[in-house]
Amino acid sequence: MNKNESEAQSAAVFVYRLVFGREEPAIWLGHLDMMRTFERSLRRAKIPLAWSHGYNPRPQMVFALPISVGMAARADLLDVSCSEPIDPADFLRRINSNLPAGISVSECIAVEQSRDSLMSMVDQAEYLLEAENICMAAEVVLSGNEPMFTEKVRKGKTSSVDIRPLILEWKCHQQDSLYIRVLAGSSSNLRPDLLLKHFVDQGKIAQLSADDAAIIRLKLRLK
Amino acid sequence: MNTVNLPRHLLRQVSKPARYVGGEWNSVCKKLPDSPDGDVRPFVRFAFCFPDIYEIGMSNLALRILYDRLNKRNDIWCERVFYPAIDMVDKMRELELPLFALESKSPINDFDLVGFTLQYEMCYTTVLDMLDLGNIPQLTSERGENDPFVIAGGPVVYNIEPMADFFDIVLIGEGEELLPELIDCYQDWKLSGADRNEFLYKAAAIEGVYVPSLYNVSYKHDGTIEAVFPVDEAVPQRVLKRIELDLDKTDFPVDSIVPNMEIVHDRIFLELFRGCTRGCRFCQAGMIYRPVRERSADKLLEQAIEMEAKTGYDEIGMLSLSTSDYSQLGCLTDSLLEVMTPNHTSLSLPSLRLDSFNLGLMEKASRTRKGGLTFAPEAGSQRLRDVINKNIAEEDLLSAMKLAFAGGWSGAKLYFMLGLPTETLEDVAGIAELTAKIEQIHRELPREQRPRRLELTVSTAFFIPKPFTPFQWVPQMSQEKLHEHQRHLRSLIRSRNVKYQWHEFGTSWIEAVLARGDRRLGQVLRLVWSRGARLEAWDEHFDLERWLTAIEDCGLSIDFYTSRERKYEEILPWDHIDCGVNKEFLWQEYQRAQSGETTPACHEACMACGASCFGGGICYEQK
Repeated sequence: MNKNESEAQSAAVFVYRLVFGREEPAIWLGHLDMMRTFERSLRRAKIPLAWSHGYNPRPQMVFALPISVGMAARADLLDVSCSEPIDPADFLRRINSNLPAGISVSECIAVEQSRDSLMSMVDQAEYLLEAENICMAAEVVLSGNEPMFTEKVRKGKTSSVDIRPLILEWKCHQQDSLYIRVLAGSSSNLRPDLLLKHFVDQGKIAQLSADDAAIIRLKLRLK
Repeated sequence: MNTVNLPRHLLRQVSKPARYVGGEWNSVCKKLPDSPDGDVRPFVRFAFCFPDIYEIGMSNLALRILYDRLNKRNDIWCERVFYPAIDMVDKMRELELPLFALESKSPINDFDLVGFTLQYEMCYTTVLDMLDLGNIPQLTSERGENDPFVIAGGPVVYNIEPMADFFDIVLIGEGEELLPELIDCYQDWKLSGADRNEFLYKAAAIEGVYVPSLYNVSYKHDGTIEAVFPVDEAVPQRVLKRIELDLDKTDFPVDSIVPNMEIVHDRIFLELFRGCTRGCRFCQAGMIYRPVRERSADKLLEQAIEMEAKTGYDEIGMLSLSTSDYSQLGCLTDSLLEVMTPNHTSLSLPSLRLDSFNLGLMEKASRTRKGGLTFAPEAGSQRLRDVINKNIAEEDLLSAMKLAFAGGWSGAKLYFMLGLPTETLEDVAGIAELTAKIEQIHRELPREQRPRRLELTVSTAFFIPKPFTPFQWVPQMSQEKLHEHQRHLRSLIRSRNVKYQWHEFGTSWIEAVLARGDRRLGQVLRLVWSRGARLEAWDEHFDLERWLTAIEDCGLSIDFYTSRERKYEEILPWDHIDCGVNKEFLWQEYQRAQSGETTPACHEACMACGASCFGGGICYEQK
């Protein structure tokens, strides 16, 4: 893009999609911590951020799907808006040398600015759950077809939901390692800890092994 | 290297596990040297402990400064240790996990030196609990050749006597040079192969180092001190504090740790100066940090730019005891705003003395809403303000409020103390009268020149007499009288525009005991701790009854420490510590207080307090 064009599009933003992972110790951060941490990392990396307008301008960053405390991720997605174009390879190098322990970005892709936010495009998620006896539990519980009612606490209210329709695919890797593909996003979403809770409630795995489980989000699928 | 493994189920069961896992940007991890050779300097592991939870401890500047200072040396690894929140402490005890440092996860009894920074007296029982959690014997006399040395520093160590049984070494004053010197001494001692006691003697020879166990205290029949004397001729009679004379030449941590989770003061700080010229008679900080030493605006701007780049923070704050007194405040603010605004970095100004100049600065800096103005008249009447040497006149306060209303501020928070020396119900009523006058000013302003709704907050704390202040001799007001004064104020504040907040009495009472306490309180502290006291700086964990019972069980009297007037001749438990300001000056100030005579600030006139002995700072500047 030459100088004249870039001036003509001064309000334009350039969106970059980051594919990032997190492992120990960063799995213990909450979603807000992740936002704060990425914002500061981007500032340290001197990425030309585009700022929102209005009273209290914020950098424009959109995470595809919030990640819960205690969960690792291999390929989560984050869209970052920039005020000027930047070479994705350069972006990748700069951000990776400014992230705290346990967080890394594997890819940076320039994407079209779209009307739909990244959050609304999330459709499915794939997880790996590692816990003692989890495959035995899965064979017993997931092979059937009766509803899997599970108690869910949200904003202090307890409700019972059938989580079976949210599970699209499952596979046992080894005896203690279960792969699941589930619905994800703003309309229907299965948090994997709910499945672990169901296994515990059914007496298939111990509470302690559920609490000790490794939960890894392998991938997000977009519509 | 031993490390503590934190199982996932543990971290899932506690709130905010990010407190315990480390890995923050700019935190320092080092490799331990393979095998210590005979000739090389021994590698020293230093655990910097803050006796409160992560969010509080990470907001402390001393930790930032010393972490940076020590880790710059490749023969030292300084790590951080905080007190875990109560849910975590209980779980750790259940699982028999020892207290560990965030960087390496090593248990703290694996360290050479374990140093605590003490910012307030109510952290003492937390210190004892941290030692216990870390499997370090609490009493210095119980520690053996394989235990770490336990060190203390920070503002409350000017009277560390109540904790004298628990600290091997106490550092008086600023640690930037003192702490590395102590570590050098430790390395020499380690190479020499001498016994534990030998190091304590060597350390005691360093200026600014106080080794409590090398001093004996004898008491008179009435419980006051007969004498404090070193056990040996080699030990100095008095310990003079250490300070940094030229702050521009003193390193400041520009690549400070960036926490992943939110902390209390979640911004980067510029330290404008140390000390305070004002000489308020109740204020310990105003005395122990003398003389005033400033950092230049050029240096601060340079640090701000570097800090912003190296941390990614979007907010910069300023730190000092009285920011309005910084001589280059205007030009510093202007240049910071010029450099920071394009980066969307905001400047948060602390509470400034209200005049038109400062209001202008605050207006320029306030990017968003007109937030809190705070203001500390401390006492309700001019008479009492003269007694405490708080140099604020009512007219100035009222005209400042007028300016503030015109500038769009809708109110202010006013801080006062109750129970000040000579305080009467009339003085207390003055607080309510002052708020009424502010309300009147608001009412009388034309509608378009004032905010629609006025919001005033009055906050009171109970006065606690502190060592090294002119009020170190005064009795604390009795509990009955304090309650009477507070009730009186509550009954007088009736306006719906004024909110009244107050501090709990119990904590202030015990804080008063510890602040001017002696070594005999060590047994009380241990007893209170053994009965479950910890994290008592938090009101919900403080139990007054537990303290009163323990004081009684140890055969001590609370009145002896709080409500007794001390005589000039009395040997005070901290008299062998020297903060530069001498006892004669403090006594003279106490006499002036009683006659309501004010004392000028250092930049107006020198009152020869003694702080010039350090050979620098404001004492040697042109008036």
